[in-house]
Amino acid sequence: MTMEAIPPIGGEVAAPVASNRARRGPVRKLLTGDRQALVGAVVLALFVAIAIAAPLLSPYSPTAKVGAVYERPSSAHWLGLDDGGIDMLTILIWGARVSLLVGFAASFMAMLIGGTVGILSGYMGGKTDTVLMRITDYFLVIPDVPLMIVVAAIWGQSLFNIVVIIAVIYWTSTARLIRAQVKSVREQVYVKRARSLGAGNTRLIMKHVLPQVTPLLIANTVLTVATAIFAETYIAFLGLGDPSQVSWGKLIQNSLTGGAIFSDAWWAIVPPGICVTLVILACTMVGQSMEDAMNPRLKVGHLSVHRFRLRSLPREPGGD
Amino acid sequence: MTEAILKVKDLHVWFDLLEGELHAVQGVNFELELGERLGLVGESGCGKTTTILAVMGLLPANASVAGSVFLNGEDILKDGERSVAPHRWKDIAMVFQGAMNAFNPVKRVGDQIAEPMELHGTARGRAARGRVGDLLELVGIPGSRADRFPHEFSGGMRQRAAIAMALACGPKVLLADEPTTALDVMVQAQILELLVGLTEELGLALVFVTHDLPVVAQTCGRAAVMYAGRIAEEGATADLYHDARHPYTRLLFSATPDLHGKEKIISIPGAPPRLDRVIIGCPFQPRCDRAFAPCPTITPRTVAVAERHVAACHLNEVPAER
Amino acid sequence: MRGADYLIKRTGAALLTVFVAITLNFVLFRAVPGNAITALRCLHCTKQFKASLQEELGLNKPMLQQYTIYLGNLTQGDLGTSLVDRRPVWQNLKTPILNTLPMLAVATIVSVVIGVAAGVMSAWRRGTRVDRINTWTALSFYAMPTQWIGLMIVFYVALRFGFPVAGIRDPTLGILGEPSTWTVINDRIRHLILPALTLGIGLYGEYALIVRSSMLETLGEDYVLTARAKGLKNLRIVYRHGLRNAMLPLVTLIALSFGYILAGAIVIEEVFSYPGIGLATIDAIDRRDYPVLQGAFLLLTLTVIFFNFVADLLYFKLDPRVTA
Repeated sequence: MTMEAIPPIGGEVAAPVASNRARRGPVRKLLTGDRQALVGAVVLALFVAIAIAAPLLSPYSPTAKVGAVYERPSSAHWLGLDDGGIDMLTILIWGARVSLLVGFAASFMAMLIGGTVGILSGYMGGKTDTVLMRITDYFLVIPDVPLMIVVAAIWGQSLFNIVVIIAVIYWTSTARLIRAQVKSVREQVYVKRARSLGAGNTRLIMKHVLPQVTPLLIANTVLTVATAIFAETYIAFLGLGDPSQVSWGKLIQNSLTGGAIFSDAWWAIVPPGICVTLVILACTMVGQSMEDAMNPRLKVGHLSVHRFRLRSLPREPGGD
Repeated sequence: MTEAILKVKDLHVWFDLLEGELHAVQGVNFELELGERLGLVGESGCGKTTTILAVMGLLPANASVAGSVFLNGEDILKDGERSVAPHRWKDIAMVFQGAMNAFNPVKRVGDQIAEPMELHGTARGRAARGRVGDLLELVGIPGSRADRFPHEFSGGMRQRAAIAMALACGPKVLLADEPTTALDVMVQAQILELLVGLTEELGLALVFVTHDLPVVAQTCGRAAVMYAGRIAEEGATADLYHDARHPYTRLLFSATPDLHGKEKIISIPGAPPRLDRVIIGCPFQPRCDRAFAPCPTITPRTVAVAERHVAACHLNEVPAER
Repeated sequence: MRGADYLIKRTGAALLTVFVAITLNFVLFRAVPGNAITALRCLHCTKQFKASLQEELGLNKPMLQQYTIYLGNLTQGDLGTSLVDRRPVWQNLKTPILNTLPMLAVATIVSVVIGVAAGVMSAWRRGTRVDRINTWTALSFYAMPTQWIGLMIVFYVALRFGFPVAGIRDPTLGILGEPSTWTVINDRIRHLILPALTLGIGLYGEYALIVRSSMLETLGEDYVLTARAKGLKNLRIVYRHGLRNAMLPLVTLIALSFGYILAGAIVIEEVFSYPGIGLATIDAIDRRDYPVLQGAFLLLTLTVIFFNFVADLLYFKLDPRVTA
């Protein structure tokens, strides 16, 4: 069930002659008008805000049965009721909490593990590198779904376990990415060190490596949030989610087991999936923009449907 | 004097940027006769590569072009892509910078050399294969290597193969874009020798783009120095060396080579101007050691300072105007 | 010979991974506390019944011994016995596998064809509206949970247009006499087509994006400029120099994403009640029938390893730069 890291979308069309515009840091880029990143960030912030303010925003209680099974949407219940008679909108808002929590927590954990392994591996090189990479390879061989099943069986189906499973499955790609980055940064740092007079402490050098690696790590973490949320819906669908918590994934599963299809209850089927899709898209937009800002893909295509244009000679510039 | 086979007149190239426009080539003029070798030199970003790409119409979609390129008297840029495409490889061919990637890594070298032949009808089938072998021998590669893949060639051999490929359809004009950059000195010398030999033997006209001055001095009888998209000075290489009429040329040719690096680094303090803004006055003025009154505000004209020697600098203007 | 070396190395690596996978599989499922019998859910299982079952299945023996027995059984094609219906696991899985295979094949073909078409079109018309629409559509489908796509399709398409949403065959077929081959095939296709298409839609997004960026990368390469300089027309360049080079990553991606394809198949079969190996897996999960699960996952893992192996070989064959 490896949802591969989101493949790059590709940068913008640009002139082959390098412009003198200073390279913007990823956060600056975010704020100063990369529209894609801005939209993504806003959407994401919106969902996070909704999740945090769930108790304030939800019209009803997420556990209270307020009407009939699969009651149609009305002015009292904008998204109708689910198969337990619970207000759909309420449960959707509260579901945001669980899904986003799992997404961010799992991604954060994956970042910690993957980042550490990547930095150590890339920086130390040699035996440490080989050993760590071997371990990474073996983690890749572990089949995702059986792992989920077994962990659910051994340690029970709790949110924490789910977060751990997801982190365990996805840290490897982060590790690989960071390792590659660290390796290239290391060259520069060693050159600097050779030139400086003082003997560098490993920790001191970490101070040089870390700033260079952090932006990439953050971008990758954002992208991993998308993957984690996707994974959570999968786990929930297999019936291995936390039974005491309602996430969007669980809602999707409920719509199948609760017979929403045959009850013609679109309000139970459509909204959770849309929410998941929107959040994943938003994370992708933000994360991808950040990555693009760091590795601008300014390669101009040599082919195009359109040709170069002809125009008339400019008038003589300047005075004479 | 024989008629110029290639004449570039008032060539301008702009690139559309996200914000605004980059005026990469700003009115370039030069001429070339058969058998002549012209060096096109300048710092990176000065527009020399863009110029020769424009000559063959190999610009991307975000480019716009003005001016003329006369090939044998005919303006091939007249109708843009339509008028320039038929001449590609048959009349003008190019040897690209870093032949590393000029070849498609998953196709055999021989096939790639034969490709334009078949396309333009120069030779087909077995005749094409034979010609491929001959071309390879011409550039000093054993003909049996035609069936190999590019990664099996060394850097120098790949460059030779690129030259062979350029000659595939018997062009009269060859454009070489930094063909010896990234090759080590020994190999470089061989490639240069090859180019000189070929152009003489086959009577070709060669435009040699580089930022490496000693190379130009070795191989090209004439040279044009580009700065900020314009030609600062053009003339016989010897003249540029001994009688430079533009401060930039003089600084270039007298810059001390870096003894440690392989490249002869041109180190003139400062940086070239941005080309996405209109430049007022002389583009070199901020870095010029001989700038004076008219330089910051009046654009210098290109004037003839001697026979077949032009320069764009106020210092060459009639003394009465100073 | 260039090939032999690489082949031997890769086969060796694959076999090693197979062995590791088998062991991991064994360990994982044995790690479940109470050795699976205690967790077993079945209606008529009394304590004594479970105890005797444990004895019978040798679950009381020491772990290492169980492992050796397991390996021995595997070599004879014995994947164990289902805890629920006491039949050999292989019997339980054989038909589902045969049901899933054609669906998977169709799904993969659909996703690859659409993915490549979309990706190439996008790259070719980079920066235009076509490109943007294509890319965002691909991204959107890639972001949607596969099971949700399935649910939406069942809800909005299947029921509305009268497609079957359960099973693999119409149960009324054959009541009034032997159905013709054509009817049977038609029936199978009708049951297979929606799950396959849905899975394909869920998968194509990734391929489209990869093909697009791979194609963009390729179109920016120097040899494309060389081809243009040589006078080749655009379309010819795309076909001769572009596709061949850009497809290389895609080929390996397809083989490597087999795990992802299978995961999608599992949920799609659940949604469409399609009796393939995915549904069998989910049923086994629900009933905690560990031997069946173990057998199913072993097979799935082996298939994934096999496809990774194929991917290695393919890449080797297609890219002359790869050396042993």
